[in-house]
Amino acid sequence: MSQPLPLEGVRVIDLAQVFAGPACTRILADLGADVVRFESPNRLDVTRNLIITDNDGLDHFWHRASYFVIRNAGKREMVIDLAKEEGRDVFRKLVAGADVVVESFTPRVMENFGLGYNALRQVKPDLIMCSLSGYGQYGAMRDFGAYGMGLEPASGISSITGYRGGPPIRSGLSFTDPFSGFVGAGAILTALHYRRRTGKGQYIDLSEQEAAMPIMAAALLDCQMNGRLKERLGDRSEWAAPQGCYRCAGDDRWAVISCSDDAEFERTARAMGHPEWADDARFSTVLARREHHDELDALITEWTSQRDHYDVFHALQAAGVKSAPVLDGKEVLFDPHFRARHHFDVVDQPLLGKRPVQRHLAAKFTRFEAKARRPAPLLGEHNDEVLREIGYGDGEIARLKEDGVIAEKPNLPVPPQLVSMALKLPYDRYIEHRILQALEPDYREQLGIAE
Amino acid sequence: MTDRAMSGVRVVDCSQGIAGPYATKLLADAGAGVLKVEPPQGDYTRRLGPFPGDRPDPEASGLYLHLNTSKRSMTLDVSVPSGQVVLKKLLAKSDVFVCGERTSTLRAWGLTYDDLKSDFPDLVVAQVSPFGATGPYADYDGNSLTAMAMSTIMYNTGEPDREPLVTGGEPGEYIAGVQLWIGILAALENRARNGGGDHVDVSMAEAAAAADEYNAAMYGFQGAIRRRYYSRHIFGYPNDIMACADGHVVVIPGAGGFPSPLQPDTVSPMALLFENPDLDKDPLFQQMGERMVRWRDFEALVAPYLSTHSAIEIVMTAQALRLPFAYVPTAADLLVDEHLAERASFAHVAVPGDGEATVPGAPFKMSETPLRIEPAPRRGEANADVLLNELGYEKPDLTVLSDQGVI
Repeated sequence: MSQPLPLEGVRVIDLAQVFAGPACTRILADLGADVVRFESPNRLDVTRNLIITDNDGLDHFWHRASYFVIRNAGKREMVIDLAKEEGRDVFRKLVAGADVVVESFTPRVMENFGLGYNALRQVKPDLIMCSLSGYGQYGAMRDFGAYGMGLEPASGISSITGYRGGPPIRSGLSFTDPFSGFVGAGAILTALHYRRRTGKGQYIDLSEQEAAMPIMAAALLDCQMNGRLKERLGDRSEWAAPQGCYRCAGDDRWAVISCSDDAEFERTARAMGHPEWADDARFSTVLARREHHDELDALITEWTSQRDHYDVFHALQAAGVKSAPVLDGKEVLFDPHFRARHHFDVVDQPLLGKRPVQRHLAAKFTRFEAKARRPAPLLGEHNDEVLREIGYGDGEIARLKEDGVIAEKPNLPVPPQLVSMALKLPYDRYIEHRILQALEPDYREQLGIAE
Repeated sequence: MTDRAMSGVRVVDCSQGIAGPYATKLLADAGAGVLKVEPPQGDYTRRLGPFPGDRPDPEASGLYLHLNTSKRSMTLDVSVPSGQVVLKKLLAKSDVFVCGERTSTLRAWGLTYDDLKSDFPDLVVAQVSPFGATGPYADYDGNSLTAMAMSTIMYNTGEPDREPLVTGGEPGEYIAGVQLWIGILAALENRARNGGGDHVDVSMAEAAAAADEYNAAMYGFQGAIRRRYYSRHIFGYPNDIMACADGHVVVIPGAGGFPSPLQPDTVSPMALLFENPDLDKDPLFQQMGERMVRWRDFEALVAPYLSTHSAIEIVMTAQALRLPFAYVPTAADLLVDEHLAERASFAHVAVPGDGEATVPGAPFKMSETPLRIEPAPRRGEANADVLLNELGYEKPDLTVLSDQGVI
């Protein structure tokens, strides 16, 4: 049974690469939009070549990259050389029949192609266009090169992340990338809402640095109101005590615990078999618990370190205490709750077989499902299909191919083996240095997705 | 009144804290009519601060002022039947009902989607909760910390021999808020095209896990389990924060920073930045893998330059060499940042009794319908207006509701 989807019939032209933009358009695709990606034959989306995926050293490695697949499932794709006038011609024809254009180049690129918003609205007056960039389309830093690993720090968040007394630290992933991509999806839905009512399109300038700044609000306000720079608190909180990440039984297993008030702490103490802690003068009030946090952490660790992190989680939650296991990339795939709620969909990916791809929109609905409905596209997979839809005949398509305007293969400047050698270590060295915990050859059997 | 992006959409928001209120702030700043329904003691962010001069004042809590811009406020105890009656009169006139409670709580109040859908078939019921409305953990409690713990992001943040580290600023709440906002907009779009209200169910844990870059993918495509390694990416070092003469910078070589086998006779941009062409011959410049595991040697190699140059000198020089380095600003730095000032990235809102505060402005700029950030409401300031003018209660009714602590 196919349920109607909210964005059915909406066509999105997607020039975005890597993480933020593709996360944005992945959500639009999951909501039913027809998302057509664009790549250049001369400059692949770098995630098609990301190392530490099973594309290494294989034929057609650009079809095999996990990073690319999870972010682009459900989309179609064309490979067109926009540096050629004929390529730009095709692009303009596509835009004339599209609703939304998303791009994530540095600001000068689309203008240099003559494909900025003002040019494109000539061919499609009610176009909605969203530019996602590191620092926005104007301002002193607009031309700055920007990678996700720089933008979380640039938004200020790293200045309030770190161990107590230690330096600022980035998250272990560039989380402001997907965060700004999500914000972009909401901004586009807002613009579509307005267009449905008024018939007017518009341009959206989304700076990743700016989009992440609301997370800094409390720190910004404390600085203004009290002239104070927030200290880095490790896993502790300004409001809750105790709060922390506690060692559990097993190798590098952990659980977090957070007590918002005296009653929650009393429940914690009882669950840990030490109801007397709640009457101990060192711990009976939130201020006392903050003062004696180290002592309390040692006592809590005595209890948690004897137990599996999931046992800690369930025992504390059963007692009415906020807690969670700290999950690694394998555990999240096996967690019964994530499984019950279908956080991962399985797509059947050409050359790779069945693979789990995470939801990018975590919202669940009763009338439709926001999920990946098809695998990620092969490079240029839909060149012919899309060209025919906009009226190109076989002869024209063949000529575009001959002239290198469209392609199904990349023009690689360097043999992939060379790139791979420069960019990665043999896996046993990653394990030796504990950058990887383990490599499990039977993972597909464990996941139940073996062929 | 000018036409705004979300003009005409009516939202009743019973959520407190960060996630739900951030979602409705994004609707309210875009022109939706958002009525914030606070418990009689007020949203709990009114007690979290920060407060001007550290003097607790529920009308001047910074977090509240930031998260509730452009809304109206009424007080109503929706946990008691008298309050639920008033709430349902409001829902009859609304498009969206937002709540931040677990299903067990909503069931006790008779306010789950299933309780409401027959009386309000076109209503979008948007629920954000720590683990979602269904599933084995649906009744469990949580916050940003538990969401980040479940997301795989926290496990991979921090030093290998220390505890995993949570990201500052309660990001799990904000990610969930943005996901709830998208969910509400998608449900409204679906209602406009296909008809009918819906239940939008957002789990904070799943919202944070949706932001996982490749931890689960590494297992699902290769059987590899990542472990935290100084918060560094698996595919490259440095890409890391390093100390400089007056603070920190993010050292990011980008695609073309280190020596390229394609251009053996060209000095690499990284070697130019560090003012030493010989660095290109060092295995630490030639091999990412070597850099990654011998990172202390790499740090020693670049420390003489970094420790004698300011963040501005380093970032400007690097960017001129097309190296995507970045700053590591503090809150104080952001408030005086020229780029952000030029972009009008901040908004200014009145603080009751304390002048004005600078809060984050629109998180995206729309050319036709720019977001507009109006001050947050005082607790219950719309009570009389809503009850008398919109719901048709009489003045004596207000006294009764007030005496019983319902409003």
